[in-house]
Amino acid sequence: MEYKVEAHRIMSISLGKIYNSRVQRGGIKLHKNLLVSLVLRSARQVYLSDYYSGACLNAAQSEREANEWDITDSEREKFPSSTTECDRVESPEEPQQTERPEKEHEHRENDDDLKSDQVDCTSTLQQEQNQNSLDSVANVSSETPPETIKEPKESPSESAVAERDSTPEANGESHQPPKTHVCSNRKRSAEETESGDSPQKRIKVASSDAEGDEEAEEMDTSNVSNLITIFGSSFSGLLSKDGAKPESETEDSGQICCDQMLKNLNPWSTAIVAF
Amino acid sequence: MKCFSRYLPYIFRPPSVLFSSSCHTEADIISTVEFNSTGELLATGDKGGRVVVFQREQESKNQPHRRGEYNVYSTFQSHEPEFDYLKSLEIEEKINKIRWLPQQNAAYFLLSTNDKTVKLWKISERDKRPEGYNLKDEDGRIRDPATITTLRVPVVRPMDLMVEATPRRVFSNAHTYHINSISVNSDYETFMSTDDLRINLWNLEITNRSFNIVDIKPANMEELTEVITAAEFHPHQCNTFVYSSSKGSIRLCDMRASALCDNHSKFFEEPEDPSNRSFFSEIISSISDVKFSHSGRYLMTRDYLTVKVWDLNMESQPLETYQVHDYLRSKLCSLYENDCIFDKFECVWNGSDSVIMTGSYNNFFRMFDRNTKRDVTLEASRENSKPRAILKPRKVCVGGKRRKDEISVDSLDFSKKILHTAWHPYENIIAVAATNNLYIFQDKVN
Repeated sequence: MEYKVEAHRIMSISLGKIYNSRVQRGGIKLHKNLLVSLVLRSARQVYLSDYYSGACLNAAQSEREANEWDITDSEREKFPSSTTECDRVESPEEPQQTERPEKEHEHRENDDDLKSDQVDCTSTLQQEQNQNSLDSVANVSSETPPETIKEPKESPSESAVAERDSTPEANGESHQPPKTHVCSNRKRSAEETESGDSPQKRIKVASSDAEGDEEAEEMDTSNVSNLITIFGSSFSGLLSKDGAKPESETEDSGQICCDQMLKNLNPWSTAIVAF
Repeated sequence: MKCFSRYLPYIFRPPSVLFSSSCHTEADIISTVEFNSTGELLATGDKGGRVVVFQREQESKNQPHRRGEYNVYSTFQSHEPEFDYLKSLEIEEKINKIRWLPQQNAAYFLLSTNDKTVKLWKISERDKRPEGYNLKDEDGRIRDPATITTLRVPVVRPMDLMVEATPRRVFSNAHTYHINSISVNSDYETFMSTDDLRINLWNLEITNRSFNIVDIKPANMEELTEVITAAEFHPHQCNTFVYSSSKGSIRLCDMRASALCDNHSKFFEEPEDPSNRSFFSEIISSISDVKFSHSGRYLMTRDYLTVKVWDLNMESQPLETYQVHDYLRSKLCSLYENDCIFDKFECVWNGSDSVIMTGSYNNFFRMFDRNTKRDVTLEASRENSKPRAILKPRKVCVGGKRRKDEISVDSLDFSKKILHTAWHPYENIIAVAATNNLYIFQDKVN
């Protein structure tokens, strides 16, 4: 589990760097941000690998797992990050697909841990709903995200990214799958529609000022997990403020995300709308 | 052919710590160092947008011990901070690179660039001036025509030497991303400027047009996986250039093949060692500098931990790999935290391509002799630089018992980094930039 802590730490450091790059003099350095995002991606994959297989277990639905496999593989094809820390930790050098069964197998032996994680998830979810108070975009900066958003919360939502077909199921995770389901759709549809469009879009070098303000307020590590869900697993989370087209598209999808998430995470809905 | 022991230790006269200040500001940090093609001039650029040019003193019989010292020749403000109103971004005035043009007349020309704009500067001497104008007096004031009763011919008289720098061309508005390199072509007519995703070819005379010769920007920026980190023209073949990427690969392109050189002619990449994988493998494999050898037969690349020499005829793996500071491999996470892992070290060849040099931390710099396979670590610091002293080799102790004079890895000062060095084209004179100080070391051969 140490690598998970390490991965989480690296993720929060990386996000801090991405944020700081926006305020530094001379504009955003594409090269450095590219490298930081690669590290972020690697760390995230390591971090999620544990929860991913853990959530699979608790769902206890083999067909869902099969779906996850397919989607995970296609996700990996889309985002060609090289083999991650997982490889080193799990030691044998194998394609990602075969690694998952290994990890999953490992975690089958730790049912108790996973169940407790699941309980944590639902409890924090409840707490977030109780703190639902924000309405407008402008109030973001005055809101500090609930401190109760903990690491475990991320896991079911991230695992739900892959669960395209499981939206109506999983009552215990009823809020998260739709959110991330839509997020993943947003990401994919965005990719499909925008290929061949103006290349100035989606430059990860710049982002809206509102987003920057929000991140200014929310840089403690407890929010790292939420930033990651927003960013998705690629640069799609870091959009350029140039170009009207990307903004309109993302606002639409952002609205969808926003509506879904408004019940859960109010401060973050504004972040997505800002995209 | 000198054996390596003659290089080491270097003997040098008062360490010519030019360009230093006791309490330096960030603007004084040297960001590039470059000798001109004869070695007579040495140019430095700093973060404040200034260029300082040093000139080597001519030998004189009166003061033989002062042979070959470098003194300040010219100082000028090359770039000013700018503001891009469309993107609400400030453009830094930091000089990223300086490249000299070969000398064709009495004046010297250099190209200097910041993140967005390349400028051609002419540095010329003036040691004569005309005197005795009719219409204006010596102060320059216009004379009252009524007072002019006779005509005279102005005469040229000697004056104190004045070195003036004038901008002759400004090559701007061609780069969306930050310029990281410029390189003058061996045809002396064109040069290229390189940013993260594109390389543009310019004619030195024409500033309103440039040709894009490499464009690796993906149609969908989400698919961006690598950027260009450096590029250089071949020293003799004016159609050939190379560019390095953040993924650790080098592409050699031939401009005769097509107008847009997105398809490389040669692709140099070393397969990654799977045992060294970590979160930071991609970062440390990113190439920070690429330099052709003077002969044009070899290529040198610098990534975070190593320097590699490639044979242009062998693409599958480098000819030689030198570990610069492998003891940092276990510290990559903390170097990531303090941003040191993003430092872009440069590397240089000596005149005969037998020795390569690059910088490290704690004001250390390293030299590798390619023939004897010996290497040395030297330090650029005031304390160790006494007049007529010999540069003592330093050693970093990796673990276990630390000998006297060794430095342990944990006590290295990572804020003192040597990123920029230069080697005289013919002689054993090196210029080492340590933050805001410039050290010039000479190998005094007796």
